[in-house]
Amino acid sequence: MIELQNVSYAYEGSTALDGIDFKIEKGESVCLLGPNGSGKSTLLKLINGLIFASSGSYLFDGEEITQKKLKDVKFSKHFHQRLGFVFQDSEAQLFCSNVYDEIAFGPRQMGMDEETVEKRVDDCLALLHLESFKSRQPYHLSGGEKKKVAIAATLALNPDVLILDEPMNGLDPRTERWLAAFIIELNRAGKTVITSTHNLELVQEISHRAILFDETHHIAADLPTEKLLENIDLLKKVNLVDEYYHVHEDHGHELFHIHNY
Amino acid sequence: MEAMPEWLTAAEVYDPPTDKDRFIDKSILSFIGLISKIKQQSGREHDRLWVSPVFKLAFTILYIVLVSSTREFTFVYIMLTYIVLVLAALPAPDIRKCLRGALIATVFTYIILLPSALHGNSYSITMIPVKVFASITAVNILSYSTRWDHIIASLKRFHFPDMFIFVFDITIKYIVMLGEFALQMLYALKLRSVGHNKSKYGSIGGVGGTLFLKSRAMSEEMYSAMECRGFTGEYHVTDKFKFSVYDGVYCALNAGFIWMFVYFQNLA
Repeated sequence: MIELQNVSYAYEGSTALDGIDFKIEKGESVCLLGPNGSGKSTLLKLINGLIFASSGSYLFDGEEITQKKLKDVKFSKHFHQRLGFVFQDSEAQLFCSNVYDEIAFGPRQMGMDEETVEKRVDDCLALLHLESFKSRQPYHLSGGEKKKVAIAATLALNPDVLILDEPMNGLDPRTERWLAAFIIELNRAGKTVITSTHNLELVQEISHRAILFDETHHIAADLPTEKLLENIDLLKKVNLVDEYYHVHEDHGHELFHIHNY
Repeated sequence: MEAMPEWLTAAEVYDPPTDKDRFIDKSILSFIGLISKIKQQSGREHDRLWVSPVFKLAFTILYIVLVSSTREFTFVYIMLTYIVLVLAALPAPDIRKCLRGALIATVFTYIILLPSALHGNSYSITMIPVKVFASITAVNILSYSTRWDHIIASLKRFHFPDMFIFVFDITIKYIVMLGEFALQMLYALKLRSVGHNKSKYGSIGGVGGTLFLKSRAMSEEMYSAMECRGFTGEYHVTDKFKFSVYDGVYCALNAGFIWMFVYFQNLA
């Protein structure tokens, strides 16, 4: 579904992505792992057609995505409908006067009648437990609530692929747990999910495959999640874990703690 | 966890209509341009122009005053030759940027002065566009060869109040921060504009409104942060000025320009 062939991207002389090659199939749940500044967010922008590769090709459903192709309004709109992107900073994603309008923005543009729009918005509100925020101003919600509204507004377009950039940033532990379970549910419902994160516990839960970026903006590994998380030396090498990181059976710990056994 | 609604598990059958929303792309490009311009200027300083920003600023202002005040062709062309030589010392991309702005302004000046020239006033059309070109090029050279924060800090030497320097400094930083936030919002608008938007101005208004709220929140946060760090309303700018040999040569050169200006004035 998504294929990158030797993609590189440089901005004002500094390299952000270097020779990136991978393929993501329909229905997969993939995590992009890497330290800060390794190029994960740039890659997500590239997959969403917001920026374009300096060299190499990006194919979506077998069709090469180029700046020229996205100038075709119909193609561009269909492409953006099929890829839903939840930004790291959800606040930047919300620009309507209330939560209802925010979620209804996409379906209304898609030409649905108001009854269908209302059904879709109500479903999204229920799914994300946002019913009581329906008429609130998005800007004045808490960080977790804003994230939920941003996800609801994205889901209302019913995209084939859901892309989340550092979804756990700024969330309280309970919302984190809920969001991890929600991502799993979405993937089970048939959505292709791409999540950028450096939260290793989240990776274990939500994805079966992890692509690891290093500080030189290359792919350091593309492995099944369990295999990658077992390779502690590699995780240390790319500065994702420190010397306290270790694994108990199937769960990795990032924090230092004392063993009683 | 709520059960997924049926529409969310089925593939969306959607044929998008065409809509004119190039304004989003154009706004995105202009924000990217603005941010990268400021970032570029804050990121580096040309090692080919070693002069202290204090002198660069002072003598750029002096250059403009001298070029504007004189009525002598010879003096203007000497000053023009000097500025072109300085321009030639910059890297090629910066030369292009400096020339672009100066040439556009010069062409406009020619167009505006054309009726006057047609009525026989040849002085204006030969003198004023050259002065405009030289002055704008001088300002562009200062702007492309000196970091913003260094220009602002050099204001201290001219006895500008610290608070003025502080506000100036913070304004430029906030233009970048708010510009980046606005860019994110425009990206979001672009990604969710998947059909026909009946209220384009409403959406842009929403972006503007959120930006205003964000700027207010950021200013309040910054005020609180400064209070926590003991800010009492006074801001001290540290002056790290050191006089170098290059500064001496540059001052002598400019003293020569002042002498030439006086000389040509006396000749007239």
